[in-house]
Amino acid sequence: MKNTLNFLLEIGKLKRKKRRGWELRGIKDPETIASHTFRMAIMSWLLGGRRGLNVNKILKMSLIHDLCEVYAGDITPYDKLLSKDKKQWKQVLKKWPRLSKKEKEKNFLEKYKRENIALEKLISSLPFQLKKEIRNLWVDYEEGLTKEGRFVRQVDRVENLLQALEYFEENKQFAIKPWWVQIEELVDDPILLEFMEALDKNFHQKK
Amino acid sequence: MTGEKKFYLTKQGLEKIRKEYQNLRGLKLAKTNVEIPKIWHSEDIDPEYLSFQEDLGFLESRMAELENILKNVELIKFPSKEKQGIVNLGARVIVKVDGQTDEFEIVGSLEANPSLGKISNESPVGGALLGHRVGDEILVSSPLKTIYKIKKIRYLTS
Repeated sequence: MKNTLNFLLEIGKLKRKKRRGWELRGIKDPETIASHTFRMAIMSWLLGGRRGLNVNKILKMSLIHDLCEVYAGDITPYDKLLSKDKKQWKQVLKKWPRLSKKEKEKNFLEKYKRENIALEKLISSLPFQLKKEIRNLWVDYEEGLTKEGRFVRQVDRVENLLQALEYFEENKQFAIKPWWVQIEELVDDPILLEFMEALDKNFHQKK
Repeated sequence: MTGEKKFYLTKQGLEKIRKEYQNLRGLKLAKTNVEIPKIWHSEDIDPEYLSFQEDLGFLESRMAELENILKNVELIKFPSKEKQGIVNLGARVIVKVDGQTDEFEIVGSLEANPSLGKISNESPVGGALLGHRVGDEILVSSPLKTIYKIKKIRYLTS
C-alpha cells in the first residue's frame, strides 16, 4: 500500500500544476493539468462510445496520458521559439509554429524520450501488471498504434481547443486562430470533426 | 462498418503492420503452448490466471484489428509521371501558410502523426490539399479562414 500511496501523492501534484500553454498567454489562474485530464476523459467516454471504441481502454488512456508531466513538465510546441524578451511572446503566440521536417522529428524524439523517462520513474514502484498496462497505454497514445490511441490523441487537442474557446469568450484579445489552424491539420475522426462544427456554431456563430 | 473501410498505407507502413502481426502471432503461440495458470488458487482467483487472460485478450484484440487492416489495405502507389504534379496520397507538399513555410506528407489515417508533419488525408487540411497543383491557393474554412499556397510537390520512390 505504501507504493500505491506514494504514487497517488506524486500524481496529486497535477491537481496544482498549471498548464504552461495558458501561462505563456498570461491567462490568470489557468486550469491545471488534472482539470484538463478530467474533462478529456469524460469527452473520450461520451464521444468514443458513439464510435464503438473500447471505452474502458480510452478512459484509462485519457487518465494516464499526461501523468509523465509530474516530472517531465508541460512541454509546448512554442518552448524553443520564445526568447527571453517576454514582449515578443505575443507575436510568436499569434501563429501556429511551423518547423522543418528535421526540427519536427528532433522535437518529437526529445519530448518522447523525456516523457518516457519521467513515466518510468513515476510508475517504477507499482505492481508489474499495472506498470505494464500504464506503459502500453501511454505508448499506444503517443504513437497512435490502435484506433483508441489515435482517437484519444485527437480528443486531447479538441479538449484543448474547447478550453481555448472558453478563454477566448472571456477575452476576445485571446489569439484563437492558432488553435483552429492546428486542429484542422490534426483531427480526422468523423465524430470529432462533427464536434468541432458544434464548437464553431457555439462560439463563433452565435448572435 | 469498420470492415468496409479502406486503410491507405505506405509501403513502410504496410511492412510495419505485417511485422507486428507476425510478432503477435508468435507471441500468442508461445503463450498458449505453455501451461495455462489454474483459475483457482486456494479460495481466491489466481492473479496469474487473470494476468494471463488479460494479456491474451490484449493480444487477440490487437491481432483482430491488424487482420482487419490487412484485409482492407490499399497500398499508396508512386504516381505516374503526369500525376506527380498533383497532390495525392503519399505526396510531400511544401506550403506557405500565414507567411510561414511548412512541409506535410499526406498519409492515410493510420500513419498520421502531425507532430512529424504526417497529416491524414481525412483531416480538413489533408483533404483540401488533395488534387491540387503547385501555385494553387487553398482556402480552409475553419471559423477563421486560412490559405495554404502550394510551393512544391514531390513523391519519394521508397
